[in-house]
Amino acid sequence: MDLIWDGFKEAIHLVVNCDPLVMSAAWRSIWISSLAVVLAAAAGLPLGIALALATFPGKRWVIAAFRAGMALPTVFVGVVCYAMFSRQGVLGPLELLYSPWAIVIGEFVLAFPIITAITHGAVKALDPRVGETALTLGAGPFRRWRTYISEARVGVVLAVLTAFGRCVTELGIAMMVGGNIKNHTRTLATATALETGKGEFARGIAMGVVLLVIALSVTIVIVLLSREDKE
Amino acid sequence: MMIDVQHLQVKKNRRTICSIRQLAIQPGERVVVIGSNGSGKSTLLRVLAGLERDYEGRCDVRLTWRERTYVHQSPCLFRGTVLSSVAYGLRCRGVSQQVAAKRAQECLEQLGIHELATSNTQQLSGGETRRVALARALAFKPQLLILDEPLAELDAQGIESVCRVLTELSETTIVIASPTSMPTKISAREYQLDAPQAE
Repeated sequence: MDLIWDGFKEAIHLVVNCDPLVMSAAWRSIWISSLAVVLAAAAGLPLGIALALATFPGKRWVIAAFRAGMALPTVFVGVVCYAMFSRQGVLGPLELLYSPWAIVIGEFVLAFPIITAITHGAVKALDPRVGETALTLGAGPFRRWRTYISEARVGVVLAVLTAFGRCVTELGIAMMVGGNIKNHTRTLATATALETGKGEFARGIAMGVVLLVIALSVTIVIVLLSREDKE
Repeated sequence: MMIDVQHLQVKKNRRTICSIRQLAIQPGERVVVIGSNGSGKSTLLRVLAGLERDYEGRCDVRLTWRERTYVHQSPCLFRGTVLSSVAYGLRCRGVSQQVAAKRAQECLEQLGIHELATSNTQQLSGGETRRVALARALAFKPQLLILDEPLAELDAQGIESVCRVLTELSETTIVIASPTSMPTKISAREYQLDAPQAE
Protein backbone atom coordinates (compact mmCIF):
# COMPACT_ATOMS: atom_id res chain seq x y z
CA MET A 1 0.00 0.00 0.00
CA ASP A 2 2.91 2.33 0.77
CA LEU A 3 4.04 1.93 -2.80
CA ILE A 4 0.68 3.04 -4.15
CA TRP A 5 0.35 5.86 -1.63
CA ASP A 6 3.86 7.09 -2.50
CA GLY A 7 2.82 6.91 -6.13
CA PHE A 8 -0.18 9.16 -5.52
CA LYS A 9 1.98 11.67 -3.64
CA GLU A 10 4.55 11.55 -6.41
CA ALA A 11 1.76 12.05 -9.02
CA ILE A 12 0.53 15.18 -7.25
CA HIS A 13 4.13 16.43 -6.95
CA LEU A 14 4.84 15.81 -10.66
CA VAL A 15 1.62 17.46 -11.84
CA VAL A 16 1.87 20.45 -9.49
CA ASN A 17 5.45 21.06 -10.61
CA CYS A 18 4.49 20.49 -14.28
CA ASP A 19 7.15 17.83 -14.72
CA PRO A 20 8.27 18.20 -18.35
CA LEU A 21 8.40 14.44 -19.02
CA VAL A 22 4.89 13.87 -17.63
CA MET A 23 3.45 16.91 -19.39
CA SER A 24 5.07 15.94 -22.68
CA ALA A 25 3.80 12.34 -22.47
CA ALA A 26 0.34 13.45 -21.33
CA TRP A 27 -0.04 16.00 -24.12
CA ARG A 28 1.16 13.43 -26.68
CA SER A 29 -1.26 10.80 -25.37
CA ILE A 30 -4.14 13.25 -25.62
CA TRP A 31 -3.51 14.58 -29.12
CA ILE A 32 -2.61 11.20 -30.63
CA SER A 33 -5.68 9.47 -29.18
CA SER A 34 -7.97 12.42 -29.94
CA LEU A 35 -6.85 12.60 -33.56
CA ALA A 36 -7.20 8.84 -33.99
CA VAL A 37 -10.70 8.89 -32.48
CA VAL A 38 -11.81 11.92 -34.54
CA LEU A 39 -10.66 10.19 -37.74
CA ALA A 40 -12.26 6.90 -36.67
CA ALA A 41 -15.51 8.74 -35.83
CA ALA A 42 -15.49 10.50 -39.21
CA ALA A 43 -15.32 7.10 -40.91
CA GLY A 44 -17.11 4.92 -38.35
CA LEU A 45 -20.23 7.00 -37.65
CA PRO A 46 -21.46 7.14 -41.27
CA LEU A 47 -20.51 3.50 -41.79
CA GLY A 48 -22.30 2.42 -38.61
CA ILE A 49 -25.45 4.28 -39.70
CA ALA A 50 -25.21 2.86 -43.23
CA LEU A 51 -24.83 -0.67 -41.86
CA ALA A 52 -27.93 -0.16 -39.69
CA LEU A 53 -30.05 1.06 -42.60
CA ALA A 54 -28.76 -0.68 -45.70
CA THR A 55 -29.57 -4.17 -46.88
CA PHE A 56 -27.02 -6.13 -48.89
CA PRO A 57 -25.83 -9.73 -49.20
CA GLY A 58 -23.35 -10.74 -46.50
CA LYS A 59 -24.34 -7.83 -44.22
CA ARG A 60 -24.41 -10.01 -41.11
CA TRP A 61 -20.82 -11.12 -41.79
CA VAL A 62 -19.66 -7.52 -42.14
CA ILE A 63 -21.35 -6.65 -38.83
CA ALA A 64 -19.84 -9.73 -37.19
CA ALA A 65 -16.40 -8.68 -38.45
CA PHE A 66 -16.76 -5.21 -36.91
CA ARG A 67 -18.00 -6.69 -33.63
CA ALA A 68 -15.02 -9.03 -33.58
CA GLY A 69 -12.81 -6.02 -34.31
CA MET A 70 -13.90 -4.46 -31.03
CA ALA A 71 -11.76 -6.99 -29.22
CA LEU A 72 -8.66 -6.56 -31.41
CA PRO A 73 -5.55 -7.14 -29.28
CA THR A 74 -3.41 -3.99 -29.38
CA VAL A 75 -0.22 -6.03 -29.81
CA PHE A 76 -1.75 -7.66 -32.89
CA VAL A 77 -2.58 -4.25 -34.38
CA GLY A 78 0.94 -3.14 -33.40
CA VAL A 79 2.55 -6.10 -35.19
CA VAL A 80 0.47 -5.62 -38.34
CA CYS A 81 1.20 -1.88 -38.39
CA TYR A 82 4.88 -2.57 -37.75
CA ALA A 83 4.96 -4.95 -40.72
CA MET A 84 3.32 -2.32 -42.92
CA PHE A 85 5.50 0.60 -41.79
CA SER A 86 8.85 -1.25 -41.72
CA ARG A 87 11.25 -0.75 -44.63
CA GLN A 88 10.02 -3.90 -46.37
CA GLY A 89 6.37 -3.08 -45.70
CA VAL A 90 3.88 -1.63 -48.19
CA LEU A 91 3.92 1.73 -46.38
CA GLY A 92 7.68 1.62 -45.72
CA PRO A 93 8.55 4.45 -48.16
CA LEU A 94 6.42 6.84 -46.08
CA GLU A 95 8.91 6.41 -43.19
CA LEU A 96 6.20 6.53 -40.56
CA LEU A 97 7.69 3.90 -38.24
CA TYR A 98 8.66 5.30 -34.80
CA SER A 99 6.70 8.50 -35.44
CA PRO A 100 3.56 9.74 -33.66
CA TRP A 101 1.69 9.36 -36.97
CA ALA A 102 2.27 5.61 -36.90
CA ILE A 103 0.59 5.50 -33.47
CA VAL A 104 -2.30 7.61 -34.80
CA ILE A 105 -2.84 5.12 -37.64
CA GLY A 106 -2.57 2.13 -35.29
CA GLU A 107 -5.06 3.65 -32.84
CA PHE A 108 -7.37 4.52 -35.74
CA VAL A 109 -7.41 0.79 -36.60
CA LEU A 110 -8.26 0.09 -32.95
CA ALA A 111 -11.01 2.74 -32.67
CA PHE A 112 -12.69 2.31 -36.07
CA PRO A 113 -14.44 -1.04 -35.42
CA ILE A 114 -15.49 0.06 -31.92
CA ILE A 115 -17.18 3.23 -33.21
CA THR A 116 -18.71 1.46 -36.21
CA ALA A 117 -20.12 -1.49 -34.24
CA ILE A 118 -21.54 0.55 -31.34
CA THR A 119 -23.03 3.16 -33.71
CA HIS A 120 -24.61 0.38 -35.75
CA GLY A 121 -26.20 -1.05 -32.60
CA ALA A 122 -27.41 2.36 -31.42
CA VAL A 123 -29.02 3.33 -34.76
CA LYS A 124 -30.46 -0.17 -35.25
CA ALA A 125 -32.19 0.17 -31.87
CA LEU A 126 -33.86 3.45 -32.87
CA ASP A 127 -37.58 3.58 -33.51
CA PRO A 128 -38.09 3.01 -37.29
CA ARG A 129 -40.41 6.04 -37.29
CA VAL A 130 -37.37 8.30 -36.79
CA GLY A 131 -36.15 7.77 -40.35
CA GLU A 132 -39.66 7.77 -41.81
CA THR A 133 -40.57 10.99 -40.02
CA ALA A 134 -37.39 12.72 -41.17
CA LEU A 135 -38.12 11.58 -44.73
CA THR A 136 -41.74 12.75 -44.73
CA LEU A 137 -40.66 16.13 -43.35
CA GLY A 138 -38.39 16.58 -46.35
CA ALA A 139 -34.98 15.81 -44.83
CA GLY A 140 -32.27 15.06 -47.37
CA PRO A 141 -29.71 12.31 -46.77
CA PHE A 142 -27.27 14.54 -44.83
CA ARG A 143 -29.94 15.90 -42.46
CA ARG A 144 -31.40 12.43 -42.00
CA TRP A 145 -27.98 11.16 -40.93
CA ARG A 146 -27.60 14.09 -38.55
CA THR A 147 -31.01 13.21 -37.12
CA TYR A 148 -29.98 9.58 -36.63
CA ILE A 149 -26.83 10.68 -34.78
CA SER A 150 -28.80 13.14 -32.67
CA GLU A 151 -31.49 10.61 -31.78
CA ALA A 152 -28.92 7.90 -31.00
CA ARG A 153 -26.62 10.37 -29.27
CA VAL A 154 -26.22 8.37 -26.08
CA GLY A 155 -25.01 5.35 -28.05
CA VAL A 156 -22.83 7.51 -30.29
CA VAL A 157 -21.19 9.21 -27.31
CA LEU A 158 -20.65 5.82 -25.73
CA ALA A 159 -18.97 4.66 -28.94
CA VAL A 160 -16.59 7.65 -29.03
CA LEU A 161 -15.93 7.42 -25.30
CA THR A 162 -15.17 3.71 -25.43
CA ALA A 163 -12.85 4.22 -28.40
CA PHE A 164 -11.01 7.08 -26.70
CA GLY A 165 -10.65 5.09 -23.49
CA ARG A 166 -9.21 2.17 -25.42
CA CYS A 167 -6.80 4.38 -27.41
CA VAL A 168 -5.49 6.57 -24.60
CA THR A 169 -4.70 3.59 -22.39
CA GLU A 170 -3.35 1.19 -25.03
CA LEU A 171 0.29 0.14 -24.82
CA GLY A 172 0.95 -2.39 -27.58
CA ILE A 173 0.63 -0.08 -30.60
CA ALA A 174 2.47 2.87 -29.02
CA MET A 175 5.31 0.58 -27.95
CA MET A 176 5.66 -1.33 -31.24
CA VAL A 177 5.22 1.36 -33.88
CA GLY A 178 6.10 4.37 -31.71
CA GLY A 179 9.18 2.89 -30.10
CA ASN A 180 8.73 4.85 -26.82
CA ILE A 181 11.19 7.56 -27.90
CA LYS A 182 11.60 10.30 -25.29
CA ASN A 183 9.95 13.60 -26.28
CA HIS A 184 8.93 12.14 -29.63
CA THR A 185 6.67 9.08 -29.32
CA ARG A 186 6.52 8.45 -25.58
CA THR A 187 2.94 8.32 -24.31
CA LEU A 188 1.69 8.01 -20.74
CA ALA A 189 1.09 4.28 -21.18
CA THR A 190 4.59 3.57 -22.53
CA ALA A 191 6.12 5.90 -19.93
CA THR A 192 4.30 4.02 -17.17
CA ALA A 193 5.64 0.71 -18.48
CA LEU A 194 9.15 2.17 -18.81
CA GLU A 195 9.26 3.67 -15.30
CA THR A 196 7.94 0.45 -13.77
CA GLY A 197 10.52 -1.53 -15.75
CA LYS A 198 13.28 0.67 -14.38
CA GLY A 199 12.08 -0.02 -10.84
CA GLU A 200 10.71 3.53 -10.45
CA PHE A 201 7.40 2.27 -9.08
CA ALA A 202 6.31 5.57 -7.59
CA ARG A 203 6.93 7.40 -10.86
CA GLY A 204 5.19 4.57 -12.75
CA ILE A 205 2.14 4.86 -10.51
CA ALA A 206 2.27 8.64 -10.87
CA MET A 207 2.16 8.32 -14.67
CA GLY A 208 -0.68 5.79 -14.35
CA VAL A 209 -2.63 8.15 -12.09
CA VAL A 210 -2.23 11.02 -14.58
CA LEU A 211 -3.49 8.67 -17.30
CA LEU A 212 -6.45 7.72 -15.14
CA VAL A 213 -7.30 11.36 -14.44
CA ILE A 214 -7.25 12.15 -18.17
CA ALA A 215 -9.53 9.20 -18.98
CA LEU A 216 -11.96 10.13 -16.18
CA SER A 217 -11.97 13.82 -17.11
CA VAL A 218 -12.80 13.06 -20.73
CA THR A 219 -15.54 10.68 -19.59
CA ILE A 220 -17.11 13.32 -17.34
CA VAL A 221 -16.94 16.03 -20.00
CA ILE A 222 -18.51 13.83 -22.66
CA VAL A 223 -21.22 12.54 -20.34
CA LEU A 224 -22.10 16.13 -19.38
CA LEU A 225 -22.17 17.19 -23.02
CA SER A 226 -24.47 14.32 -23.97
CA ARG A 227 -26.97 14.81 -21.15
CA GLU A 228 -30.39 13.50 -22.15
CA ASP A 229 -32.17 16.73 -21.28
CA LYS A 230 -29.79 18.90 -23.28
CA GLU A 231 -31.19 20.16 -26.56
CA MET B 1 -56.11 14.76 -60.47
CA MET B 2 -53.53 14.75 -57.68
CA ILE B 3 -53.82 11.12 -56.58
CA ASP B 4 -54.81 8.21 -58.77
CA VAL B 5 -54.95 4.75 -57.22
CA GLN B 6 -55.93 1.78 -59.41
CA HIS B 7 -56.10 -1.88 -58.37
CA LEU B 8 -53.70 -1.35 -55.49
CA GLN B 9 -52.72 -4.40 -53.48
CA VAL B 10 -50.19 -4.51 -50.67
CA LYS B 11 -49.09 -7.89 -49.39
CA LYS B 12 -47.08 -8.83 -46.32
CA ASN B 13 -45.95 -12.41 -45.89
CA ARG B 14 -48.18 -13.41 -48.84
CA ARG B 15 -51.25 -11.97 -47.06
CA THR B 16 -53.09 -9.03 -48.61
CA ILE B 17 -53.22 -6.23 -46.04
CA CYS B 18 -54.63 -3.51 -48.26
CA SER B 19 -56.75 -3.74 -51.39
CA ILE B 20 -58.24 -0.82 -53.31
CA ARG B 21 -59.91 -0.98 -56.69
CA GLN B 22 -60.05 2.72 -57.48
CA LEU B 23 -59.48 5.99 -55.64
CA ALA B 24 -59.04 9.40 -57.22
CA ILE B 25 -58.39 12.58 -55.25
CA GLN B 26 -58.47 16.08 -56.74
CA PRO B 27 -56.21 18.95 -55.62
CA GLY B 28 -57.63 20.69 -52.56
CA GLU B 29 -60.02 17.84 -51.83
CA ARG B 30 -60.44 16.36 -48.35
CA VAL B 31 -60.93 12.64 -48.05
CA VAL B 32 -61.50 10.60 -44.92
CA VAL B 33 -60.63 6.93 -45.35
CA ILE B 34 -62.91 5.05 -42.98
CA GLY B 35 -62.44 1.44 -42.08
CA SER B 36 -62.25 -1.03 -39.24
CA ASN B 37 -59.01 -2.25 -37.70
CA GLY B 38 -57.00 -4.25 -40.24
CA SER B 39 -58.79 -2.76 -43.24
CA GLY B 40 -55.53 -1.28 -44.53
CA LYS B 41 -56.10 2.43 -43.83
CA SER B 42 -52.63 3.05 -42.47
CA THR B 43 -51.07 1.00 -45.26
CA LEU B 44 -52.89 3.09 -47.88
CA LEU B 45 -51.65 6.27 -46.22
CA ARG B 46 -48.09 4.93 -46.12
CA VAL B 47 -48.30 4.15 -49.86
CA LEU B 48 -49.53 7.70 -50.55
CA ALA B 49 -46.72 9.10 -48.39
CA GLY B 50 -44.15 7.12 -50.37
CA LEU B 51 -43.09 5.07 -47.35
CA GLU B 52 -44.51 1.81 -48.67
CA ARG B 53 -43.16 0.99 -52.11
CA ASP B 54 -43.72 -2.73 -52.28
CA TYR B 55 -47.19 -2.93 -53.84
CA GLU B 56 -49.02 -4.16 -56.92
CA GLY B 57 -51.22 -1.96 -59.10
CA ARG B 58 -50.91 1.77 -59.64
CA CYS B 59 -50.55 4.64 -57.22
CA ASP B 60 -49.73 7.98 -58.82
CA VAL B 61 -49.20 10.93 -56.52
CA ARG B 62 -48.38 13.90 -58.71
CA LEU B 63 -46.22 15.67 -56.16
CA THR B 64 -42.60 15.47 -55.16
CA TRP B 65 -41.83 13.89 -51.80
CA ARG B 66 -41.11 17.34 -50.36
CA GLU B 67 -44.59 18.61 -51.25
CA ARG B 68 -46.38 15.99 -49.16
CA THR B 69 -46.12 14.93 -45.57
CA TYR B 70 -47.45 12.21 -43.35
CA VAL B 71 -48.21 12.18 -39.64
CA HIS B 72 -48.03 8.73 -38.06
CA GLN B 73 -50.79 7.23 -35.94
CA SER B 74 -48.33 7.49 -33.02
CA PRO B 75 -46.17 10.44 -34.07
CA CYS B 76 -42.46 10.50 -33.35
CA LEU B 77 -40.97 13.79 -32.17
CA PHE B 78 -37.23 14.29 -32.28
CA ARG B 79 -35.24 15.12 -29.15
CA GLY B 80 -35.07 18.77 -28.19
CA THR B 81 -37.62 21.50 -27.65
CA VAL B 82 -41.06 21.55 -29.21
CA LEU B 83 -40.11 24.69 -31.15
CA SER B 84 -37.04 23.07 -32.73
CA SER B 85 -39.10 19.98 -33.56
CA VAL B 86 -41.81 22.03 -35.29
CA ALA B 87 -39.17 24.01 -37.19
CA TYR B 88 -37.51 20.79 -38.47
CA GLY B 89 -39.30 20.63 -41.83
CA LEU B 90 -38.58 24.29 -42.53
CA ARG B 91 -34.90 23.85 -41.66
CA CYS B 92 -34.85 20.91 -44.12
CA ARG B 93 -35.99 23.40 -46.78
CA GLY B 94 -33.17 25.81 -46.04
CA VAL B 95 -35.27 28.32 -44.09
CA SER B 96 -33.14 30.33 -41.64
CA GLN B 97 -33.36 29.43 -37.97
CA GLN B 98 -34.97 32.76 -37.05
CA VAL B 99 -37.68 32.59 -39.73
CA ALA B 100 -38.32 28.88 -39.03
CA ALA B 101 -38.72 29.57 -35.29
CA LYS B 102 -41.20 32.39 -36.02
CA ARG B 103 -43.28 30.21 -38.34
CA ALA B 104 -43.12 27.30 -35.85
CA GLN B 105 -44.41 29.60 -33.11
CA GLU B 106 -47.31 30.66 -35.38
CA CYS B 107 -48.26 27.02 -35.99
CA LEU B 108 -48.17 26.25 -32.27
CA GLU B 109 -50.42 29.26 -31.64
CA GLN B 110 -52.84 28.05 -34.37
CA LEU B 111 -53.20 24.77 -32.49
CA GLY B 112 -53.40 26.43 -29.08
CA ILE B 113 -50.20 24.92 -27.73
CA HIS B 114 -47.80 27.89 -27.93
CA GLU B 115 -47.05 27.50 -24.20
CA LEU B 116 -45.31 24.21 -25.04
CA ALA B 117 -42.70 25.90 -27.28
CA THR B 118 -39.82 25.52 -24.83
CA SER B 119 -40.92 22.14 -23.44
CA ASN B 120 -38.88 19.02 -24.03
CA THR B 121 -40.57 16.79 -26.62
CA GLN B 122 -39.94 13.71 -24.49
CA GLN B 123 -42.11 15.09 -21.69
CA LEU B 124 -45.36 15.64 -23.62
CA SER B 125 -48.61 13.74 -23.23
CA GLY B 126 -50.03 11.67 -26.10
CA GLY B 127 -52.49 14.40 -27.11
CA GLU B 128 -49.83 17.13 -26.95
CA THR B 129 -47.50 14.99 -29.06
CA ARG B 130 -50.19 14.64 -31.73
CA ARG B 131 -50.84 18.37 -31.87
CA VAL B 132 -47.12 19.17 -32.00
CA ALA B 133 -46.69 16.63 -34.83
CA LEU B 134 -49.56 18.30 -36.72
CA ALA B 135 -48.00 21.74 -36.15
CA ARG B 136 -44.70 20.36 -37.49
CA ALA B 137 -46.47 19.05 -40.61
CA LEU B 138 -48.31 22.34 -41.19
CA ALA B 139 -45.23 24.52 -40.68
CA PHE B 140 -43.87 24.09 -44.20
CA LYS B 141 -47.30 24.28 -45.88
CA PRO B 142 -47.39 20.94 -47.74
CA GLN B 143 -49.68 20.53 -50.72
CA LEU B 144 -50.74 17.08 -49.52
CA LEU B 145 -51.30 16.39 -45.83
CA ILE B 146 -51.72 12.74 -44.87
CA LEU B 147 -52.94 12.17 -41.32
CA ASP B 148 -53.36 8.82 -39.61
CA GLU B 149 -56.09 9.07 -36.96
CA PRO B 150 -55.29 12.69 -36.01
CA LEU B 151 -58.02 12.96 -33.37
CA ALA B 152 -57.08 9.89 -31.35
CA GLU B 153 -56.08 10.63 -27.74
CA LEU B 154 -57.20 14.28 -28.04
CA ASP B 155 -59.45 15.93 -25.48
CA ALA B 156 -62.44 18.08 -26.53
CA GLN B 157 -60.29 21.21 -26.72
CA GLY B 158 -57.66 19.41 -28.80
CA ILE B 159 -60.29 18.05 -31.21
CA GLU B 160 -61.76 21.53 -31.52
CA SER B 161 -58.42 23.17 -32.37
CA VAL B 162 -57.32 20.43 -34.81
CA CYS B 163 -60.70 20.54 -36.63
CA ARG B 164 -60.52 24.34 -36.84
CA VAL B 165 -57.00 24.26 -38.28
CA LEU B 166 -57.91 21.56 -40.82
CA THR B 167 -60.99 23.46 -42.03
CA GLU B 168 -58.85 26.57 -42.52
CA LEU B 169 -56.54 24.73 -44.92
CA SER B 170 -58.54 25.47 -48.03
CA GLU B 171 -55.81 24.84 -50.60
CA THR B 172 -54.26 21.76 -49.05
CA THR B 173 -55.29 18.28 -50.11
CA ILE B 174 -55.95 16.28 -46.96
CA VAL B 175 -56.23 12.51 -46.63
CA ILE B 176 -57.23 11.30 -43.19
CA ALA B 177 -57.53 7.75 -41.90
CA SER B 178 -60.14 7.28 -39.22
CA PRO B 179 -62.05 4.33 -37.75
CA THR B 180 -65.24 6.46 -37.72
CA SER B 181 -66.57 9.55 -39.47
CA MET B 182 -64.80 12.81 -38.66
CA PRO B 183 -66.73 15.59 -36.89
CA THR B 184 -69.17 17.27 -39.27
CA LYS B 185 -67.14 20.52 -39.14
CA ILE B 186 -64.63 18.92 -41.44
CA SER B 187 -66.56 18.60 -44.65
CA ALA B 188 -64.83 15.73 -46.35
CA ARG B 189 -65.62 12.97 -48.79
CA GLU B 190 -65.74 9.64 -47.04
CA TYR B 191 -64.09 6.64 -48.62
CA GLN B 192 -65.07 3.34 -47.07
CA LEU B 193 -62.23 0.84 -47.00
CA ASP B 194 -63.19 -2.78 -46.39
CA ALA B 195 -60.84 -5.35 -44.95
CA PRO B 196 -59.22 -7.39 -47.74
CA GLN B 197 -60.78 -10.79 -48.36
CA ALA B 198 -58.71 -13.73 -47.05
CA GLU B 199 -57.19 -15.69 -49.96
